[in-house]
Amino acid sequence: MSATTEPRITDIGPPHYEKYLHPLIKKNYGQWKYHENLAPGVYCHVAESGDRIYTVRAGTPRLLSVQTLRIFADLADKYSGGYLRFTSRNNLEFLLDDPVRIEPLKQELIALGYPVGGTNNAISNIVHTQGWIHCHSSATDASGLVKCTMDALYERFTHEDLPAKLRIAVACCLNMCGAVHCSDIAILGVHRLPPKIQPTLPRVCEVPTLIAACPTGAIRPAVVDGKHSVTVVEQQCMYCGNCYTVCSAMPMNDADNDGLSIWVGGKVSNARSAPTFSKLAIPFLPNNPPRWPEVVEAIVKIVDVYAKHARKYERVGEWIERIGWPRFFQLTGFEFTRYHIDDFKHAALTYARSAHVRY
Amino acid sequence: MPDHKPKTELLDELEKGPWPSFVKEIKSAGQTSASAQDLLRQLELSYQEKKGHWKHGGLVGVLGYGGGVIGRYSDVGEQFPNVAHFHTIRVNQPAGWFYTSDAIRTLCDIWERHGSGLTNMHGSTGDIILLGTRTPELEPTFQELAQAGFDLGGSGSSFRTPSCCVGMARCEWACYDAMRLCYDLTMAYQDEMHRPPFPYKFKLKCAACPNDCVAAIARSDLSIIGTWKDEIQVDESAVTEYASAGLNIQKDVCDLCPTKCMAWDGHKLGIENHECVRCMHCINVMPKALRPGKGRGAVLMIGGKAPIMQGALLSSVLVPFVAADELLDTVKELLRRIWDFWDEYGNNRERVGELIQRVGLPAFLDGIGLDPIPEMVSAPRDNPYIFYQAAKDGAK
Amino acid sequence: MPVFEINGNSYEVDEDGFLQEPERWNHEVAKDFANTEAITDLTEEHWKVIDYIRNYYLEFGIAPMVRKVCKETGHKLSEIYKLFPSGPAKGACKLAGLPKPAGCV
Repeated sequence: MSATTEPRITDIGPPHYEKYLHPLIKKNYGQWKYHENLAPGVYCHVAESGDRIYTVRAGTPRLLSVQTLRIFADLADKYSGGYLRFTSRNNLEFLLDDPVRIEPLKQELIALGYPVGGTNNAISNIVHTQGWIHCHSSATDASGLVKCTMDALYERFTHEDLPAKLRIAVACCLNMCGAVHCSDIAILGVHRLPPKIQPTLPRVCEVPTLIAACPTGAIRPAVVDGKHSVTVVEQQCMYCGNCYTVCSAMPMNDADNDGLSIWVGGKVSNARSAPTFSKLAIPFLPNNPPRWPEVVEAIVKIVDVYAKHARKYERVGEWIERIGWPRFFQLTGFEFTRYHIDDFKHAALTYARSAHVRY
Repeated sequence: MPDHKPKTELLDELEKGPWPSFVKEIKSAGQTSASAQDLLRQLELSYQEKKGHWKHGGLVGVLGYGGGVIGRYSDVGEQFPNVAHFHTIRVNQPAGWFYTSDAIRTLCDIWERHGSGLTNMHGSTGDIILLGTRTPELEPTFQELAQAGFDLGGSGSSFRTPSCCVGMARCEWACYDAMRLCYDLTMAYQDEMHRPPFPYKFKLKCAACPNDCVAAIARSDLSIIGTWKDEIQVDESAVTEYASAGLNIQKDVCDLCPTKCMAWDGHKLGIENHECVRCMHCINVMPKALRPGKGRGAVLMIGGKAPIMQGALLSSVLVPFVAADELLDTVKELLRRIWDFWDEYGNNRERVGELIQRVGLPAFLDGIGLDPIPEMVSAPRDNPYIFYQAAKDGAK
Repeated sequence: MPVFEINGNSYEVDEDGFLQEPERWNHEVAKDFANTEAITDLTEEHWKVIDYIRNYYLEFGIAPMVRKVCKETGHKLSEIYKLFPSGPAKGACKLAGLPKPAGCV
């Protein structure tokens, strides 16, 4: 460790947001009256003062190089007085005070390959995790799944023609960084084999922590070659990978058996119905890079069936709630299997506990 | 710099198609960064083998901090030496993810000097993610960031970097100043963020209205969700305008109201405000005509989390309403009590929501000194297995 | 497996410099590892923390939770960071010869 002469700066926290706010935003902060959706990807917010701020939204891959970020900075200088922001779904937004600049900015973004849209009843950008780019426990890649899914749903991003908002998320394992478990459609990487215990376990892992990390109690203490180690009761393992997170000697990755599951009908918004978790639609699809055709086909299928059958303002979950799950499986053609029936804690709460059956 | 371009036949497929390509981004960073090139090579191998090549998380950081850096090592480091060490730095984002072009360039310059030149804008929790560098670069990167006014975010068993929606900066529905509250709480708990003190992670998110654009309810231990107490503000002439522009107010607004608290007689919209649950649907549909009331604040909800380990939880109501100007003090007091209880009774790697599941909400309420109220449950219990206290301690 | 060499001693360590041969640990080993953690002199205060963590580990097989370390040694967390600049997990546990503490990233 080299000694520095200057005192180190610590605990200063993030920069204060105020210094990054467009002057018009600063002036009308907390004084917004209403907004209009001028076109897909374009909002106009009107303040009590009559001031108007225009937002142009574009999709990004989230994984951004400094070269691309500098291009965004240049665009902001050229069109929006240097002011830009990102959204919670990895979109880029430019904040303009002059509506004349909207169209040229849109054209330049599109020419650079960044689609304008993602607002209102469009499919917004996909929230996702690190996948093979940077994660130790991933069952699949996330960026690649996002790319090929959004390639197929491109027109759904640039047009607002769905019955309601549709939020897609990708998580590369059960850890689910991001709100994958409450998405209209979620793509989830899954393992299907128990961890493979490595002989280094006793010296690299805390055995009691490891045992406590298993949600089903499948990991049991054992003495191996005179040292404290563990065994795995394989029938009790549901492949969550939490053991690997606390112990590097329990790897889960398996090229042939890892894959994807698809979940539908979750939401976080309180509008109309309460926030809810996504439910299992497809228990397993093969991990098939680089373009995951089976996954893309399934997602497009769900979106198309939803677009055709849902009523205006119905989110995916609300639509399925109305038509019933049997009809969802019938319309999508997805097979209903034993895996769709919950058999973990409180599973009985998900069983059909009434004689309400649609014929 | 390696003098040959990585051969990446599989990843090249992901440069095709209309959606912007992350592969192009890695290649673009690879023009000036050997680690970005090796990242591409290792990723191609992952695509060939259908397997990740990152080892289990490492433990690296900067002095004085117990988090903010995610250590990462390649399991094929000999093959790809420039990503043998590929640590990620979490940088606390400005509230609302607002930037100037200069701020972006400053971050880029620092990261080009010290790392792969690849970023995530942003990570799931909200931080700016600087993706990939070596241990000796951590301290210089940290100090250059600090000189530029940036600091690290949270990792491990810490107060994780709070995040918020755009709030009052550009949304008429903001029921409290989410960006300010997010900033103030971030500043108040720098110690808890940088020096992990808890049994496990603790996340906090500020959503300024019940639309919850930051998914606070699904992924934060304390979810602060804006709402209002008084009547929805109605601009009657604007309602009429919507109707004459073709909006079917009966079908698209009244019929979809979850409590059916609205009535439309063809001229006037009537709202039974005491029946309204502040779901936002009618306001979302008619933003020019309807607005949240003026008595604004937030509902505080507790326990949201993803599945690991005892299953996913949505946050549930802890305090049904706190006025906007009392939010900072109330949240701080509540956090103190919650953290004290969690510190005392929480197991290692047990989220607050799981602790509440384990000990029961009534015991948790006792612990933090809140009275039980019907707003906290969707319904009273339906099982008769009640642990009566009267016989034990003489209480009523 | 990387090897950490100092003062004529060599130790098997993981990537993050944690000792992989727990049975070799003693105070001299701790002193050797102090050099990697920006600690110049191990004081009585240091030993109180190190020995507590070590004994806890020997008894329970895990690193103690942070709050336990603070409570049992009487140090505030900020003081622990003063003693071990890279913190209780990376700093103190390493000197106490524990395997890398498990935690969530």
